[in-house]
Amino acid sequence: MSDASPARSGLRYPKLEHFSEPNVITTTADFIFSWARSHSVFPFTYGLACCAIEMLSSGFARYDVARYGMEVFRPTPRQCDLMIVAGTLNEKMAPVLKRLYDQMAEPKWVISMGACATSGGPFYDGYNVVNGVDKVVPVDVYVPGCPPRPEALFQGLLELQVKIQQHRFVAERPAGAAVSPVAAVEAPAPVPAEES
Amino acid sequence: MALEIGTNPMEMDAIAARLVADFGDEVRDVRVQEPDTVVARCDKSALKDLAARLKGHPEIGYETLNFVAGVDKVKHIESIYHVYSWKTNTYLELHVELPRGKAEVDTVTGVWPAADWHEREAWDMVGIKYLGHPDLRRILLKDDFVGHPLRKDYVDLVENHPHV
Repeated sequence: MSDASPARSGLRYPKLEHFSEPNVITTTADFIFSWARSHSVFPFTYGLACCAIEMLSSGFARYDVARYGMEVFRPTPRQCDLMIVAGTLNEKMAPVLKRLYDQMAEPKWVISMGACATSGGPFYDGYNVVNGVDKVVPVDVYVPGCPPRPEALFQGLLELQVKIQQHRFVAERPAGAAVSPVAAVEAPAPVPAEES
Repeated sequence: MALEIGTNPMEMDAIAARLVADFGDEVRDVRVQEPDTVVARCDKSALKDLAARLKGHPEIGYETLNFVAGVDKVKHIESIYHVYSWKTNTYLELHVELPRGKAEVDTVTGVWPAADWHEREAWDMVGIKYLGHPDLRRILLKDDFVGHPLRKDYVDLVENHPHV
């Protein structure tokens, strides 16, 4: 398990030694959903240039992105929730990228990998270059480098995990209006008085 | 029959002399530039006919088109054909000068079908219009791109950058 993200997000993971015998965990819905969600990110293979080589390298055995539960690179946006834009985005590809982003199911995140995807990089102001993928889709994490090493991409993925874990599913109630959701469900509906 | 790679039965000077002898009316400035490359120029009006004859020549026939390049030489535009002969294992580099204002030349897709996409690219980037080309569309840039970016006088346009 990652030791960087839980401390920073304020969430603590149960350790394996807690389960040496039958045991019970009490936790919150926020914790369990964000924990599961941040460790089962399906990246969308969006390699546009040489950064894609580093992205693929991070998937192979030497670096092995599977350690973070993110090894399932999918070639279709329908099955993905993370788009790693790895490479130069040009004007001809920009509408395609937007469309594929729109086809991804919520919740979804975008990592801008490398100088080109972040700002155009060495091709800044080129006649057919989009100066940063954030001109087209909203970006959650920027990974610098040209290209970034797999370790740098992992740093970006860990930052994204922190961001995912900060999401809260349970809406906060105003003070004084606290009602147990279970009680609210089980309480009998008021029966209107019969008119006789 | 193709030769073993790298072998050439003719001297480069002999190939150049043969080009002058057989195609002297069309080609000019014939010279040996590399150990395996002859460079020549020709007029754009003679290109189509010359291409067919170059390909069919029995001894130095240039059967294969390697690529078509478009170059902006500022004073004029050049369409350059790199063709290869399996009979001699050598290259011919054929330069055709075109005026800037009217960069048009006959297509050679009828002779070398490989020219199709190369001429589309030269049209896309340098704006050379290949007359008689079966499908002269842009190949790399988007269809509504304005201008030809590898022209020296190209200025980057706002229209080409909708995502700002």
